[in-house]
Amino acid sequence: MSAGAQMVVELDHGERRLIPIIDETRTLAAICADHGLPLNTRCGRRGLCHGCEVLLREGSLRTDAGLIPAPATVRACQARWDGGATIQIPARSRIEHKPQVTETFAIAVPCAHQPLFPPEPGVRDMAAAIDVGTTTVVVLLADLVTGQVLARAGGFNEQIRFGDNVVTRIEAARHPETRAALQSAVVLETIQPLLLQACALAQRPLNRLAGGTISGNTTMLHLLVGEDPTPLGVAPFTPRFLRGRKISADSIQLTPLGLAPETPLQLLPGIAGYIGADITAGIYATGMAFDPAPSLLVDIGTNGEMVLQNGGQLTACATAAGPAFEGCGLLCGTRAREGAVSDLRLALHPFQLATEVIGGAPLSRANGLCGSAYVDFLATARSSGLLGLTGRFDHAAWESVPASHRMFDDGRRALALGEANGAGALRVSEVDIALLLQAKAAIGAGLEILLQTAGLKAADVGKLYLAGGFGMHLDVAHAIAIGLLPGFRADQVRVVGNTALAGALLALLDRNTLAEMEDLSTRVQVLELNLVEHFEDSYIEHLMLP
Amino acid sequence: MNDQHPLTQAIIGGRRKDVPQLVQQCLDAGETAGSIVEHRLVPGMAIVGDRFKRNEIFVPEMLLAARAMKEALKILEPKLVAAGIKPEFYAVIGTVEGDLHDIGKNLVAMMWKGANIEVIDLGVNVPAARYIEAVKQHNPHLLGLSTLLTTTMPAMRQTVQAIREAGLSVKIVVGGAPVTLEYAREIGADAYAADAASAVDAAMSLLHHKP
Repeated sequence: MSAGAQMVVELDHGERRLIPIIDETRTLAAICADHGLPLNTRCGRRGLCHGCEVLLREGSLRTDAGLIPAPATVRACQARWDGGATIQIPARSRIEHKPQVTETFAIAVPCAHQPLFPPEPGVRDMAAAIDVGTTTVVVLLADLVTGQVLARAGGFNEQIRFGDNVVTRIEAARHPETRAALQSAVVLETIQPLLLQACALAQRPLNRLAGGTISGNTTMLHLLVGEDPTPLGVAPFTPRFLRGRKISADSIQLTPLGLAPETPLQLLPGIAGYIGADITAGIYATGMAFDPAPSLLVDIGTNGEMVLQNGGQLTACATAAGPAFEGCGLLCGTRAREGAVSDLRLALHPFQLATEVIGGAPLSRANGLCGSAYVDFLATARSSGLLGLTGRFDHAAWESVPASHRMFDDGRRALALGEANGAGALRVSEVDIALLLQAKAAIGAGLEILLQTAGLKAADVGKLYLAGGFGMHLDVAHAIAIGLLPGFRADQVRVVGNTALAGALLALLDRNTLAEMEDLSTRVQVLELNLVEHFEDSYIEHLMLP
Repeated sequence: MNDQHPLTQAIIGGRRKDVPQLVQQCLDAGETAGSIVEHRLVPGMAIVGDRFKRNEIFVPEMLLAARAMKEALKILEPKLVAAGIKPEFYAVIGTVEGDLHDIGKNLVAMMWKGANIEVIDLGVNVPAARYIEAVKQHNPHLLGLSTLLTTTMPAMRQTVQAIREAGLSVKIVVGGAPVTLEYAREIGADAYAADAASAVDAAMSLLHHKP
């Protein structure tokens, strides 16, 4: 190797770093991660997605396909050092250290104060509610004596470097060694630091923790306890376990200094391979099971799950909606976080584009668009006539857009949010729109089929509980207008936040909750959408914009 | 070839609801079912495939076009059978064992039908033994294997292996989101299709290499 070799890395806002190259056989993605710049390697570093793309400004890089000279866009997971390079990492390729995580929720059920773990005041008097999501993990500390929330801490699930969805994680966990690595990523690199962080915020030592409850999808809970998730990767997707296991902290190698090894951790019960404990928690926390009128729970996260309650009967289905509404896979997409465009209004004749950025920064400093802004875009671009039925820019309307807002990426049309900001301008392309339409069609069709099988219409539903991070900034009227929640009225929709975490908290505070969740979890019928004959037809119908 | 024919345009535009009436008009004007397929539908799907390859249309519009064509075939297929018209080429297609996704596979099936290939669809979650049985029964020129899940790629490998071990010489085309050209070569498939449009190209190049 060349002694003292350094790679120049350019980040947002002109920040530059020098990264020493010690091992030329490592990929750029691995080198960046080693130096505190983890990239979005959501396909599991297999070179299949555009998550970790960087711009090669100067020098050259090596890939399996040969030498790549500057300037070029390269996948960092496929590129290796070749003696000298200056790269620029766009904001959207980075996994930020502080994601905006939904730590808030609405609880609609009454709760007795009879904690799952009896408190010893001043000795062991707090407990943790933990939601292990595919993308993000939240740890909440509650006082068992008062029932009060003491602190919350959230961050990325560090398993993300093995892949951004459950299927790539299952694939990664095929071998016992990698399964151990996945467990360690979520326990030692994710939950443990969040727990310590929450204790610091609560100003209480870890040795006062009496126990915890854990919510999450079925795959996440398998990986957490070290069970082989392989059967979840192939039909009929049979889990190794669903019932609410009680484990000890040391059994999953959660052994930070001060925590008693036998500290009990209660997993919430799941429903099926693709309807997890997070959904059981949501059904419970929303109180939907007891609603007098038909009700729906729609949880839009990395997957989209939905549950219908009709006359006490519960039916659930999961859709492979994909993470488009979390901003993943879109040209300028990002999660809902500080600096993301969250609201957008577009008008033609005259052309007007108004935006709002989370945290109040000007558009020129925004780092991407989050799901709610894309929903706004689809709704207002369609109602203004800029977009046609199939999500393409209408020719005449496109010509009426000021030239400074019209861009082309590889010959594909894209609308720039700002004026003439060059190649890096925030924009929405027709390819983005196609991906969004596919995600919205999966959810819209799932809802339609779920209602149809019960002989119901959207208007028959009393309440639709919209859960997950995406809902928090959402303009519900726009979600209805684009057919994401087809046929509903805004007054039916309740935005409820992270109900998986809410359920975990309720299970902590009221010991009867767990038995009720066990009962609920066995009562839910699961509908396999792929086997419903007219699902495909409904999906294709929902690809269009109303 | 008349690209401007209203039926061809309705297929390209994915306007399913207009299709039955337009097919009926063709029939009323004395066109045979075979001629409608050949002169109205096939050119439409060829244009859809070309536009997709040129990035002029995307997956949603392609699915809409395929659904419009399906509508036309619903009317025409019984007439083709009644007239005893036999297509030149046959294909068997299915999603491999363990995977229930079929939208991508159905799109390929429709694109192949749009290229005038008779397609026998085995559905989803198809074990190797059923592919073998279907190949023996129908003796197709092509076999299409699809998968959407990374976790069912091994089932694709096993299916190719089982077909070869059964001594069947059918040309195998593989595709689906996690499948790559390298993987297709590694498992011994005859062709790889990155998407539904290239599945037609793959089929055509295999069919025209036939002696």
